[in-house]
Amino acid sequence: MQSSARRTGVMTDVHRRFLQLLMTHGVLEEQDIQRLQKHCYMVHDRNATVEKLEDFINNINSVLESLYIEVKKGVTEDNGRPIYALVNLATTPVSKMASDFAENELDLFRKALELIVDSESGFASSTNILNLVDQLKGKKMKKKEAEQVLQKFVQNKWLIEKEGEFTLHSRAILEMEQYIRETYPDSVKMCNICHSLLIQGQSCETCGIRMHLPCMAKYFQSSPEPHCPHCNDYWPHEIPEVFNQEKEKEREEAGFSKSSKKSLRSRQQ
Amino acid sequence: MPRGHKSKLRAREKKRQAQNETKALEDAQATAANHPSQNLPTMGTEDSPLSFQGAAAAAFTDAHGDGEGNPSSPQASKSLSKDPLTKKVVLLVRFLMEKYQTREPVTKADMVNSVVKSYKNHFPKILKRASALLELAFGVDLKEVDPIRHCYAFINKLDFSVDERILHEDSMPQTGFLMMVLSVIFLKDNCASEEEVWEMLNMMGIYADKTHCIYGHPKKALTQDFVQLKYLEYRQVANSDPPRYEFLWGPRAHAEVTKMKALEFLATISDTTPSDLSPWYEEALREEEERLQARLAAKGSKQGKSRRKPCPK
Repeated sequence: MQSSARRTGVMTDVHRRFLQLLMTHGVLEEQDIQRLQKHCYMVHDRNATVEKLEDFINNINSVLESLYIEVKKGVTEDNGRPIYALVNLATTPVSKMASDFAENELDLFRKALELIVDSESGFASSTNILNLVDQLKGKKMKKKEAEQVLQKFVQNKWLIEKEGEFTLHSRAILEMEQYIRETYPDSVKMCNICHSLLIQGQSCETCGIRMHLPCMAKYFQSSPEPHCPHCNDYWPHEIPEVFNQEKEKEREEAGFSKSSKKSLRSRQQ
Repeated sequence: MPRGHKSKLRAREKKRQAQNETKALEDAQATAANHPSQNLPTMGTEDSPLSFQGAAAAAFTDAHGDGEGNPSSPQASKSLSKDPLTKKVVLLVRFLMEKYQTREPVTKADMVNSVVKSYKNHFPKILKRASALLELAFGVDLKEVDPIRHCYAFINKLDFSVDERILHEDSMPQTGFLMMVLSVIFLKDNCASEEEVWEMLNMMGIYADKTHCIYGHPKKALTQDFVQLKYLEYRQVANSDPPRYEFLWGPRAHAEVTKMKALEFLATISDTTPSDLSPWYEEALREEEERLQARLAAKGSKQGKSRRKPCPK
């Protein structure tokens, strides 16, 4: 609601604890965010009614507005899971990445980022990234060291690794979308449906437009015969399932681990 | 922590900033309008149009200031704030937030060189406002612990226990597991090889390649989750080929878990008392003393200076 977002919110220890914990984790999925919110209420204000998540976050954001940061909601590109992260809103010389990494490490990330954005699949191979090690600014880095730095990026949720290839973590996309669109205007890809940055997705073989997998899942949900929204040609790829929080819960309780679920979804591609 | 230096990319960024200012704003507004489900709050009010120049452009630009009377982007600094002091306050809060994440103490010199710069004379005012904002938004206090070297430390007004940080899928506490690992590291002179850690864990029925009914995926927890949360440091043993790895306490473990606590944990599971565990008991005692000294020093400086005023809001 527009009006409640404009009113400056009140920060209580419930909100502060929530913010500190979110900062610690970097990025959290919606289920964990809900649990986190309830936990913060339990610690500070057991008897209070837990505010609706959207309002709770709007409240926090109205206070954070003056600091040009916000709790932002996004969606993972591969399977449409809603995620939340604390992101910067305006350019500043200080950001999460800058303080955690050295100059040559940041440059390695920049090289990997460029390869990822340029790539067709949204993935850059480890080999291709490591071959650029000689071009890095700052202290000289060996390939073995670079491998470890890449793992550090994965640990800190800036990159995701799949079978020796790297793509952007949804946290990085949330935080860096604007920067990517401005820095690589020629190679950046956009989703035809949501019009935001696309790193991983599918494309139409006839006209070349692209879509995120979750966007496509929603768009084609009730179409028995999917057609490209742009050129109307028959859509050749398999349509994934729409992400359903309830179904996920059922699967988890039935004993699937998170990793086997992921491979279920990737098989659908 | 090392910070970035001026780069070619920053020059490209500046040029683009000057040329595409309006376009970026239009784009951003269009983006926000197009997927309302993804952007929960409204981004900024009418009076302060935000310059959506991309958050992590910051990661690739130098840490030494943006918009210090910067002629190529006068609109950028205006859009961040009409008052240059306010801008410095905002930057300082962000800087302090990053330092807080790793629990590093911070000096006045750090803050002046990285953020405040030419507004050095306004440092006390800027710091006061930044501290107030830090307290309001995050519940974190900044205290001067060394008035001679102007060194400041963070004090979390909210009380956290180790459990909280770890959101395990089944909501099972990982504390015991983490404490075990921290204790082993402590016993091995504050640095334990990966082999030594697994040897100990295997004795308790926890294996790297098996899912544990309580602790989930122990290898992932040790080498990724705990590391990301800064409880553990996981690094390659120098010059090891094939690579071998070792564990150390991470900065958050140092801040939240004392050596005495680790010793008490060990004593409980091995049915002894901490005082039986020499020489580690002596080491833990020394650490207690050091922490006590630091706390007393902080208290002393508080009495000497009256920096703290009620929050302006």
